[in-house]
Amino acid sequence: MKYLIFLIFALVIGAKAQGNTLVLLDNQVIKETHSLFFKSLQDRGYSLVFKIADDASLNLSKYGEYLYENLIIFAPSVVEFGGNLNVDTVTQFIDNGGNVLVAGSEVTGDVLRELASEVGFEVDEEGAFVIDHLNYDISDEGQHTKLVISSENLIDAPVIIGSKKGIAPLLYQGTGILVDSENPLVLPLITADSTAYSYQPDHPIKEYPHAIGRDTVLIAGLQARNNARVVFSGSISFFSDEYFTSSVQRALGGLKAEKSGNQDVATAISQWVFKEHGRLRVKSVQHHKAGEKTPPQDYTIMDDVVYKIGIEIYDNGKWTAFSANDVQLEFVRIDPFVRTTLKNNGNGIYEAKFKIPDVYGVYQFKVDYDRVGYTRLYSTTQVSVRPLQHTQYERFIDCAYPYYAGAFSMMLGVFVFSIVFLHMKDDDKKSKHE
Amino acid sequence: MTAKYLIACLLFNVVTLSFGSIRGYICPYTQKKFLEIATSALKEQNISNIYLGANSYTFLNKPVPQELTKSSCDQLKKLFKPDLEIEIVFQSVAAQKLLGCNGAVPTQNLAKQAQDILQSDKSTVAELRYAAELLILLGQQVPNVAKIGQLTQVQLKSDDSLLSLGHALHLAVLLGNSGKFVTERIEDIVVQADEVDGKILQWEGGLSTTSLIITGLLKFPDANPLTAVQADKLGNYLLSRTVVQTPKGISNLLSATTALAASKVSPVAILVSGSKSVSIDNPNLKIQVSDIFGRALKPVPSPVVAQSATRIADDVVVLARQALTAGSKATEFLLPLKLEPGYYKILLNVGSHSTTLNARVLGPVEVKSFEIGLSDADGSSAPHLEKLSYPNLLSKRLQGDSGQNLLVKFTLSRQVHQAFVRLSAGKKEIIFVAGQESNNQYKVEADLGQELPISDVFVIELIIGDSIITNPFLWVVGEIEVKITSASSLATPKINRGPKPEIIHMFRQPDKRPATFVSLFFTVLTVSPLLVLLILWGKIGVNLSNFTARAVPFHLGFGAILGLFTLFWLKLDMFTTCAWLIPIGGFTFFTGHRLLRHMAGNKKAEKCFFVLVRIKM
Repeated sequence: MKYLIFLIFALVIGAKAQGNTLVLLDNQVIKETHSLFFKSLQDRGYSLVFKIADDASLNLSKYGEYLYENLIIFAPSVVEFGGNLNVDTVTQFIDNGGNVLVAGSEVTGDVLRELASEVGFEVDEEGAFVIDHLNYDISDEGQHTKLVISSENLIDAPVIIGSKKGIAPLLYQGTGILVDSENPLVLPLITADSTAYSYQPDHPIKEYPHAIGRDTVLIAGLQARNNARVVFSGSISFFSDEYFTSSVQRALGGLKAEKSGNQDVATAISQWVFKEHGRLRVKSVQHHKAGEKTPPQDYTIMDDVVYKIGIEIYDNGKWTAFSANDVQLEFVRIDPFVRTTLKNNGNGIYEAKFKIPDVYGVYQFKVDYDRVGYTRLYSTTQVSVRPLQHTQYERFIDCAYPYYAGAFSMMLGVFVFSIVFLHMKDDDKKSKHE
Repeated sequence: MTAKYLIACLLFNVVTLSFGSIRGYICPYTQKKFLEIATSALKEQNISNIYLGANSYTFLNKPVPQELTKSSCDQLKKLFKPDLEIEIVFQSVAAQKLLGCNGAVPTQNLAKQAQDILQSDKSTVAELRYAAELLILLGQQVPNVAKIGQLTQVQLKSDDSLLSLGHALHLAVLLGNSGKFVTERIEDIVVQADEVDGKILQWEGGLSTTSLIITGLLKFPDANPLTAVQADKLGNYLLSRTVVQTPKGISNLLSATTALAASKVSPVAILVSGSKSVSIDNPNLKIQVSDIFGRALKPVPSPVVAQSATRIADDVVVLARQALTAGSKATEFLLPLKLEPGYYKILLNVGSHSTTLNARVLGPVEVKSFEIGLSDADGSSAPHLEKLSYPNLLSKRLQGDSGQNLLVKFTLSRQVHQAFVRLSAGKKEIIFVAGQESNNQYKVEADLGQELPISDVFVIELIIGDSIITNPFLWVVGEIEVKITSASSLATPKINRGPKPEIIHMFRQPDKRPATFVSLFFTVLTVSPLLVLLILWGKIGVNLSNFTARAVPFHLGFGAILGLFTLFWLKLDMFTTCAWLIPIGGFTFFTGHRLLRHMAGNKKAEKCFFVLVRIKM
C-alpha cells in the first residue's frame, strides 16, 4: 500500500514537473533580489533546488543518473564550485544534454570564465563593464554602465525571443562577452550598440578593448550539436527584480518605457534555454512512387517519387504540428542531386514530388533543418535506385525506320528471290543454245 | 523603482570605511519590506512568529491593522496552552499586550508558574529572564531578587556562553541592585566581540546573539558599555544584515537598531542621497545626515561643513571649509560644487562626525580642431588633410585604396575615455581607438589595405564619450570609398543556417534525332532496291514455269522462319524463338533438301536429253 501511494505520488510529481533545476547562488540574497525570475520558472512547473555555489554537498549526478535536467548558475563571483561540481562535470552535463543558464557580472570568477570558454564564449577581463556613453539609463550611477538596449539589438529569431516589435527597451549592467563569429553553434542573443565598448571604467583606454561596438555580446547562447542549450549572460542584474520592474529612460532622450522589457526577454530566454521553445522532432517519413501507396523495393532512374515527412514542435508541454515554409529535402548520393523545398500540406506534413535523377546508385532522402533557435532536425532514409531494364527502353524509334526497312526488305527480297531463282525457266539460254 | 533603493542601501553598507559615521541607514524600502514580512508572520499559526511580527510592528512605529489584530488574537487563543515553555508563555503574554487583545491568554496561573521557575535552582539564565519578564508583564513585582541574583551567578559559572550572558544582562536590569554583579562582566562581553575588516563588529552566534547583547548592554547606560566607534561598527553590522527574511531576524535587527539609535552613541549616517554627480546646471550635491533609521538627528548637528574637496586625478585641493546649506528636508544638506569636471573626494564634518564622500562634476566637451585625410602607406608623399568643424560633413567623398592610410587627427577640450573612429558599411563595422598623443590631441592612422575586409563605401563616424561629460556624441564625418585589391580578403567563409539554394537535377539530354521526314525518306530509299527489282521483273517478266507443287512446303518453311524472326523482333524472346526455330528449321531443311534433289534430278535428265539429241544430230 505504501509503495502504491508512493508510486502515485511520484507519478503526480512527474506529470507536473518541467524538470529538476539546480540553482547555484552566490548567497541567499540573490534568491530574494531575483525572486520574480525564479517565480516565473516555478509557475511554469520547474522544481528549483537552491544551493550556495560553494556548498560542499553539491552533486549533479548520483549513481550515474543526473539529478537535474537544468542548471542555473547565478553566482558570478564563485571562485570554485563546492562538492562534486567543477568545470569538467558541468561540461559533461552539457555533453549529456543538460541545459545551463549562467549569469556573470563584472567580477565573473575564474570557474565561470573557464566554463564559458568550454562552450565557445569568452568573458572580458575582471572589472570590465560594457560602457556606452550614449545609451545609458537615467538611473545610471555615473559610470554609464547601466545601459539601455533597444530591442533592435536582439537576435533575429522569433523562436528565441518572440516578436521583437512589442519588446520595450532593456536594461543591462555587466561585462561584455566575445564570441567567435565563425562558430555556427553560438548565437549572439543580445548585442550592444555600435557606440559601446567593454573596458574598466576607471582606467584610461590603453589597449584595444576586447569587445567593441556591435561585436560586444551581452547575452550569448549556444545550441550544441546534441541539442543541449547554454546561455551565458554578462549581467546578473539583467534577471533581477529591480530591472524587471523598473522604468527605462535613455539619459540622452529617445528610448523610454514605463517598464523595461527585461522580464519578457528573460522569460523568453529561459524558455528557450530550457527547451520549452524550438524543439523539433520527426513524426513520420513516407516515400513512394507517384500513384502508389507503399515504398517499392527499389526505385528505377527517372521514376516520379513522392516524399512526405511529418514534423512536430514542442509547445506548451505538447507536441503539435510544426508549420514552416522553408523545410528542404535533399536527394543525396555523396552529393545532393536534388534539393527542393517541401510543400507544407498543413498538419505538420511536408511533401515533395520530384523525378529521380538518371544516375543509379544508393541514395538518401535527407531532411536537415537547422535554423537559428531550433533544435537540429535531421532525418535520412536510404533507398537504392537501379538503371532501366532492357525492356524499359524505347521501341520503334522514328529515325531507325531505314534500318527496319533495310532488314525486312532484305528478308522479303531473299524470299522472293529464292522462289524466282529456284523456279525460273531460262528461255534465253535455251534459245541461245539453239 | 523601490528595489533600487535596497540595492543602493546595500551598496553603501559594503563600502563603509569612515570613522565617526556610517554610510547607510534602514531606508524606507527596507522598512516596507520588513513590514511585509511582519505582516505575514502575524498570519502564521505560531505563537513565536505572532509575537515577533507584533514586535516588529512596534519597533517600526506602525499600528497593527485591525483585521490582522483580530485574526492573530484568535490564533493566540487557539494555540496557547499553559504547559508551554516559559519563553513561549512570555511571548504569548507579550503578544497579547502588544496586540491589545485582553483575555486571549488566561493569565491566572502564569504568575505562579513563573515564580516556581524563579525559585528553582535548575532554571537556566534564559528561563530565569523570561520568567522575570513575564512577571513584570503581568504587573507583579519580582520577588526575592537577591536569591535570583545568586541563582543567576551560579548558572553563569556553569555556562558563561555569550547567549547566557546576554540573557543575564536583560535579567539583571529587572533585579535592580541585586543585578549589579553583571556590570563587572560588561567589559568582558564587549571584548569578546569580533571585528571584521575593521568595519564591522559582531558577536559570535549571528544576528540573534548580537542583538541580544546590544539591547542588553544598552540597558546599562551608566556603565557606558560602548564607544562611539564600536557603535558605528555595530551599526554597520546591523545594516549588513538588512537582507534577513525571517520574522525572528527582523525583530532582532529592529530591536537592536532601535536600542542603538536611542542610545547616547547613536551612529550618524552621512551619505550622498540621489545622484552622485553634479553638473553646471545643477551644481548641488545632496547629502543626507540622519540616524540609523533615516530620521533627523536631535539636536540638529552643527556645523555641517565640507572640510575640503580634492580632485582625485591630481590630488589638488580645490575647496576648503565650505558650509552646507539646509535642504528641503530636515535630513538633507546641499553642497554646491562649481568645479572643473572630474572626480572629487570630499571630506565632510557633521558636528563631531566626519566622513569622506566621492562625487563627480560633469561638464561639456568640444572638438577644438579636426582633420581628416589620406596618406600613402609608404610615406612617399605628404598627407593631404582636410579641416572640418563639428558638426559639419565632409564636402566630398574620400577615395582610398589598399596602399593608403586613413589619417584622422583631432583635439578635444578635455581628455576623454572613449575616442573612437568608426567605419561602417551596412552591417559591417570597424572601430579604431584613437591614440592620445599629448595635450588632448588624438590621432587615428588606419592602414586601409590591412584593416578593411572588402571594397565598399564606408561611413566615417567619430564617437566621443566619457562619464564626466554632459554631451557625448556620435558625429557622422563623411564617407570614404575604399578599393581593396588583395583577393585573399574576399574569401570569408559565411555561415548559412537559412534555406540553401535549390538544386534541380540536370537530366542527360537525349541525342539529337533527324526529323521524321528525313528518316521516312531514307526508309523509302532503303526499300527502293527491292521495289526496283520487283518492278523490273514485272516489266521484263519472269518465267516461273519450273514451279512445281513439290516446292510449296519448302517455301512455306522458309517463310515461317522469316516470320518467326519478325515475331522475335516484335515480342518473343530468344528461348521461345529457338524452340520454334528447331522444328520449323528441320522441316525447311528436309523439304529444301528434297526440292533440291528433285531439281538436281531433273537437270540431270535434261542434260542426258541434250546429249542424246546431239548424238542423233
